[in-house]
Amino acid sequence: MTERIEITDFVTGEAVEAELFDDVAVEHFLEAQEEWRPVVVEARWKLSATGEQHLIPRHAHWDWTNKEEDLKLLAFTFYGLRCGGKLQGLMKLQTVGHRCRLPEQIGKPLVYVDYIETAPWNIKLLMRALGREPQYAPIGSVLIRAAVRKSIEEGLKGRLGLHSLPTSEQFYLHACGMESVDKDPAKQNLLWCEFTPEGAERFTTGGTL
Amino acid sequence: MKVNNDREWLKRQAALEDGDFVSVGGFVESMGVEELAGAQNVIPLRSAFARLIQLARRERNLSCEQFAARVDVDLAEVLGIEADEHYRPALRTVHQIANFLGIPDKKLLGLSGLLKVKDAQFQKAALQFAARAEPVEKLSQEEHSALEEYVKFLCER
Amino acid sequence: MNPKRTMTLNLTEQEMRVLDEISAQKDLSKTAVLRQALRLYQLIDVRLSRGEKLFFEDEQKKEKAELMVV
Repeated sequence: MTERIEITDFVTGEAVEAELFDDVAVEHFLEAQEEWRPVVVEARWKLSATGEQHLIPRHAHWDWTNKEEDLKLLAFTFYGLRCGGKLQGLMKLQTVGHRCRLPEQIGKPLVYVDYIETAPWNIKLLMRALGREPQYAPIGSVLIRAAVRKSIEEGLKGRLGLHSLPTSEQFYLHACGMESVDKDPAKQNLLWCEFTPEGAERFTTGGTL
Repeated sequence: MKVNNDREWLKRQAALEDGDFVSVGGFVESMGVEELAGAQNVIPLRSAFARLIQLARRERNLSCEQFAARVDVDLAEVLGIEADEHYRPALRTVHQIANFLGIPDKKLLGLSGLLKVKDAQFQKAALQFAARAEPVEKLSQEEHSALEEYVKFLCER
Repeated sequence: MNPKRTMTLNLTEQEMRVLDEISAQKDLSKTAVLRQALRLYQLIDVRLSRGEKLFFEDEQKKEKAELMVV
């Protein structure tokens, strides 16, 4: 699957064409590691001068060298977003094995967002640390919309769940309109966020086709 | 399902998204990291981690840059580890250093603060090592012995 | 969208009843239930082939029991 979408380049102020694709390969994750990581490290270094490095989410970069097999399993679906000749976002979904926690849909299966990242040059905090402005948007929203579509394709009606890192709660609760449940002690007390079918519909619509 | 590809939805979401982080915590478990350590008790162990890396590097007569190149990690990570006791390195960095030094991954993850350590003996040994090791230009015999003994301890248990 | 193929499935009365129950409980079509089952089966099979083990854990009793999958 390849889909062309118009997103905004905030550096030039212009609409630009991006490509959403699902034939993600290990090379894409290695590209993300090589291209994205140095920018994050540089921004973290700058922020550490003002004692603000804790504002950058502390998470590991996945070692993809042993995970190539996951790319072929039915249980996992991957999406990438490319623009300006570079990878702008990556996402891994798990389509089986996770269940809803919201009382109105408890126990029903959902699609779980296992991994999602946008390139660091699209993140305001990191770019301002480097004296720049974020570039492309909306990367996260396009990926989450693809996740909702996948949920519908799988017959799960748009139900989606994830453990938000603290620095991402603003995005999931306000930009996407997901509902929060609880902090999950089994997952480092991260906040569980979930879409009902109605919530997913509200997120994905709101204009004309 | 109606899918909205038009500019209005994308513009609105761009404004709402506002350059926020979107990271989630799903994959942390699959890395085999049992628990991300909280702030408590992590700094004393990180002193030992910083000292271990520094002494191991100096014993090999490597500058930070050379060490980073040899281990295949970012220079900024090595500098952060040695200079800032609050610095949390990337999981990959710790893996790479562990491989390079021949130390079990989990032990070094515990020292770096990425993995919570409940073993009191492990904590005590780390604090003792950090206390014994002093940053000087050349490794003293004491530092050399401390380093040798501590690496041996990490590899044995 | 991935193109799909159609197959006929022969199930016993009991299997059909279970499929209906799960479909109602989980708010899934019967097709969606079977597709979920296929995904889960492959995932478990691959992990077991890697040498991993699958356990059920009773948190209250602090007991673990290995699930044997053929």
